[in-house]
Amino acid sequence: MQTSTMLSQLASGMLVSIEIFVLTLLFSLPLGLLVALGRMSKSRILSGIIKVYIAIMRGTPLMLQLIVVYFAPYYVFGINISARFRFTAVIIAFSINYAAYFAEIFRAGIQSISVGQWEAAQILGYTKTQTFFKIILVQVIQRIIPPVTNETITLVKDTSLSFVLSVAEMFTIAKQIGAREASIVPLMVAGLFYFVFNYVVAFGMEYFEKRMSYFR
Amino acid sequence: MKKLITLLMASVMTFGLCACGGPKEVIDISEGSADSFENELKTDEAQPAGDERKTFIVGFDAEFPPYGYMDENGEYVGFDLDLAQEVCNRRGWELVKQPIDWDAKDMELSSGSIDCIWNGFTINGREDSYTFSVPYVDNSQVYVVKADSNIKTEADLAGKVVGVQADSSALAALEDEEGKADLAKTFADLVQFADYNTGFMNLESGAIEVLAMDIGVANYEISSRNGEFVILDDQLASEQYGIGFLKGNTELKDQVESTLLEMVADGTFEKIAEKYADYGLVDSICLK
Repeated sequence: MQTSTMLSQLASGMLVSIEIFVLTLLFSLPLGLLVALGRMSKSRILSGIIKVYIAIMRGTPLMLQLIVVYFAPYYVFGINISARFRFTAVIIAFSINYAAYFAEIFRAGIQSISVGQWEAAQILGYTKTQTFFKIILVQVIQRIIPPVTNETITLVKDTSLSFVLSVAEMFTIAKQIGAREASIVPLMVAGLFYFVFNYVVAFGMEYFEKRMSYFR
Repeated sequence: MKKLITLLMASVMTFGLCACGGPKEVIDISEGSADSFENELKTDEAQPAGDERKTFIVGFDAEFPPYGYMDENGEYVGFDLDLAQEVCNRRGWELVKQPIDWDAKDMELSSGSIDCIWNGFTINGREDSYTFSVPYVDNSQVYVVKADSNIKTEADLAGKVVGVQADSSALAALEDEEGKADLAKTFADLVQFADYNTGFMNLESGAIEVLAMDIGVANYEISSRNGEFVILDDQLASEQYGIGFLKGNTELKDQVESTLLEMVADGTFEKIAEKYADYGLVDSICLK
């Protein structure tokens, strides 16, 4: 088999992986911020619910969460599920799972800003919302870039879990090519794809971090 | 401060643009068809009976050559998928080939996300769990060892590390108290693999000494691996393949089966088997 055919097949799988990656980040980052704010809420009920949510998301395997999100409509509510829902379920499961991890990173970042800044802003006449978005959040973003990069890179590799819902992303395609060719070369090539993709992600995040560093 | 917020917004918008630009072509690749969303919604509803059926979703393990696998052009092919395609052509259905995670096959079937499992699916031992078509292939479970191995008969297996695919019929045979469970107890260990490629990597590297598997796949693997492996004469079990439908779905089973028998009568069935003659399929088919 020609290497070029294998590469183009892997590349088509890579597109699926990238799609899962981008959509998950798009949904889980804002959701994570909301969860973090809920976790720090003064309302005991709200922060209690969020604590349980984070505990479940972090305490159970992502693979199980994928299965639950996809099959729950049928097994719990008796609704027939369509083939198109596979991909939606993958995005939902990844987003709510990563939102829990991002929320804790955000919380750490927000709580690392000294209370003095809130008080100073209050004296200067800022409202709480203004203080948060104009003063606190920008510093938080700068501080949390390294742990967020960690999670982001893990996410790239976690996309391969989505085959449990039969979404054929790159690693699945690599295994299928491997089965046909009776060879492990496609798996190695898939590893190279992941490495290059993660290198680009890390490079982009580093660039972003430098751009954000003019506070210091 | 404003600069920062602008930068932030710009980065969020870039993410947004990526998200909008990327997905569209990807959906074609993952689904293999350009169905509009409306069509998808239709399949969402309960499938109408009889000739009104539009799609036929076959669930299969795409790492199970020669019955279902991905060919060099990235298309899913194989003996079973070619049969399914012919059935769909004759019935005017659109075939949807859905590669599935073998461990999730029951959930896929009972939730209705696939219509049947057509993938060298062993009937024996599963009669009570599915509604099966007539058997169409005689299969046997065999032991594969390295060509230079000193394991020659079933009796040599005692104290050896044996591998099987998880949830496969080889595993079922080794766990069956009336079958080979006693033999399995003499093994040093029984290791389960997700797919055959991993199994063969283990066998090749010496991590396991024996691989128990279906003869069709064994033939395929051995011929792709230049005969570095051999099949023992002693067989683990013999069995038959059928098309598995959701328990009680005899209506769909009857439709597919009648078309399949038509294909046997006019010789198309055998012609399709000849395409895969290299892997010993012509000898295995049991509908003539």
